[in-house]
Amino acid sequence: MEMQKVKENAEMNKAYIIMVLMALCVILVPLIAYSVGGWYAYWGHALLAIIFGILAVLLRTRYYWEEE
Amino acid sequence: MEEPIPETSSELLFGAVAAIAAFLIISILLGFLMRKKAKNFEEWLVGHGDIGPVVTGFALVASYLSGWAIFGNAGLGYAYGWSGSWLIGTTSIMGMALCLVIGYRMRRYVALGARTVPEMLKVRFESRLVQALAGIAMIVLLLVYSVGQYKAMATVWTITTNTSFYGSLIATAFLVLIYLAVGGYTGTQWVSCFQGILLTVIGWTLGIAALLWAGGPARIAESIGMQNYTAPGGNQTPIPLKDYVLPLSPPKGLAFPGVDWIGVTATIFMFLFMATGFPHNIARFLGTRKISKREYWIFLLILVLGGLTPLWIGVVGFAARTVWGDALMAETYYPMYGDSAAVYASIGAGGFPLASLFAACVFAASVATLAGMVMIMATNITRDLVHNAFPEASPRKLLLLTKLMLVPFIAIPLYWTFTSPPPILSEFMSGSAVAQAGIFFFVVGVSMYWKRATKWGATATIIYGLIITVLHPKAYGPSVGLYHWGCWALLLMFGSALTYFLVSLITTPVSEEKLQRMFPKK
Repeated sequence: MEMQKVKENAEMNKAYIIMVLMALCVILVPLIAYSVGGWYAYWGHALLAIIFGILAVLLRTRYYWEEE
Repeated sequence: MEEPIPETSSELLFGAVAAIAAFLIISILLGFLMRKKAKNFEEWLVGHGDIGPVVTGFALVASYLSGWAIFGNAGLGYAYGWSGSWLIGTTSIMGMALCLVIGYRMRRYVALGARTVPEMLKVRFESRLVQALAGIAMIVLLLVYSVGQYKAMATVWTITTNTSFYGSLIATAFLVLIYLAVGGYTGTQWVSCFQGILLTVIGWTLGIAALLWAGGPARIAESIGMQNYTAPGGNQTPIPLKDYVLPLSPPKGLAFPGVDWIGVTATIFMFLFMATGFPHNIARFLGTRKISKREYWIFLLILVLGGLTPLWIGVVGFAARTVWGDALMAETYYPMYGDSAAVYASIGAGGFPLASLFAACVFAASVATLAGMVMIMATNITRDLVHNAFPEASPRKLLLLTKLMLVPFIAIPLYWTFTSPPPILSEFMSGSAVAQAGIFFFVVGVSMYWKRATKWGATATIIYGLIITVLHPKAYGPSVGLYHWGCWALLLMFGSALTYFLVSLITTPVSEEKLQRMFPKK
């Protein structure tokens, strides 16, 4: 029982880490524009958005999956 | 020496008309085939609930990519340089991914009888008031959004056929009528899927062709770095285009989203919320079947491919600025200005074949979206207002009323565009996008997951959102000292969030027993 709870807590911690990474992707958008600029910022934003999307789907499919 | 701006040829006129006709025929055939399969009106609205991730994915891409993304983004890149990127939506995929993970739960409400987004709200809150209010909010915001679609298609028609802008507006209205009359409005997932594939393929092709045509990325970056901002009408300023913010002079300049980092922050949140907030987007999940974990990833891949399209259209604008400088901002190009960059660049970069395909693409994005919106607004009146107030009204009369309502909803945005066409259409449409993001992300998206949400929370959010919408810096905002777009947008989105959560927490949700249907225990 105790082991199960520890395991669940560890899983949820991983989910929180993913959420923090998603927030980081958003925060980095203006920072890249300010510090790098030009094409690197333009396509860098797209790359951050793709990473954000991957993390969102990972969160959904691994930690918040809904069986019907 | 700058390249001359291309002129219209009979070849281009023929090509554009043929491409648009081909698009219409394919859409009608697809719509007709799928309509035959639907046994009744309800089935026609959401299908059989058996649509997979590929079709739903591209349909979502099509509904997301309107005249703004597929056409107006070039105007943004052209007119504002790098600072136009914020409205181009370089982070669009973030919002689309959120829409994917949030929107899938719409299926649950279909099982409970919902067939439209306002109906989903009626089911969620057991409230006809919320349904009616959501219907009204959708009408107001979609009317504004429709103006941009008119401008997009009329600009393409003006340049490719050499008719006047106002004549082109009338032609656009006729095209919408034809599209609606022949059944293209059915907007089945299959028609939308076809449109999504078309927009993605042509958008990417045009973007890459324009990049090469302008001499490559390094030349474009160098050219933009050396140019200054020119206002619509040709008034040159000393403000450089090289940075990601464009400090235009206050108070008028503050209405531009990329004017400073507050505006930038607001656009980032707008793109995070708006894909879910657009009712026509989230409605795509009404007909989706059960999706496996693996299919979720396929869905995301499609959204990534489609979500990069707006960036390629932005590239077209940068390329046009590199080749022609600020020539398109001159008074000669009134009222199209920088918005004409996409069409001219498509001729310059790909000749008449690519320009013709692009014309069909803009037709798909703007006229089909416009037709879809006109239909949504008309059904908002009949289904969410009239039928809501008079449940006994006969279906025959409701259908007749829906058809009659098409006329004002085609005419109002037409008149608006006729009398005061927006200089940069995407900038104009972003006003409506912020409102849809701020209101519906919470009222629709969050309510599907937050059990504690109440009908009063939703009602207060819709009312608050609509009031702040009117205070847009280019509408009535200046009368209360609200000149700054970023402050206005943040006030709308986060004010809506605050209103939604606070009012919900101090009012009573629907009973636990009823909530069980929408939030079954695992």
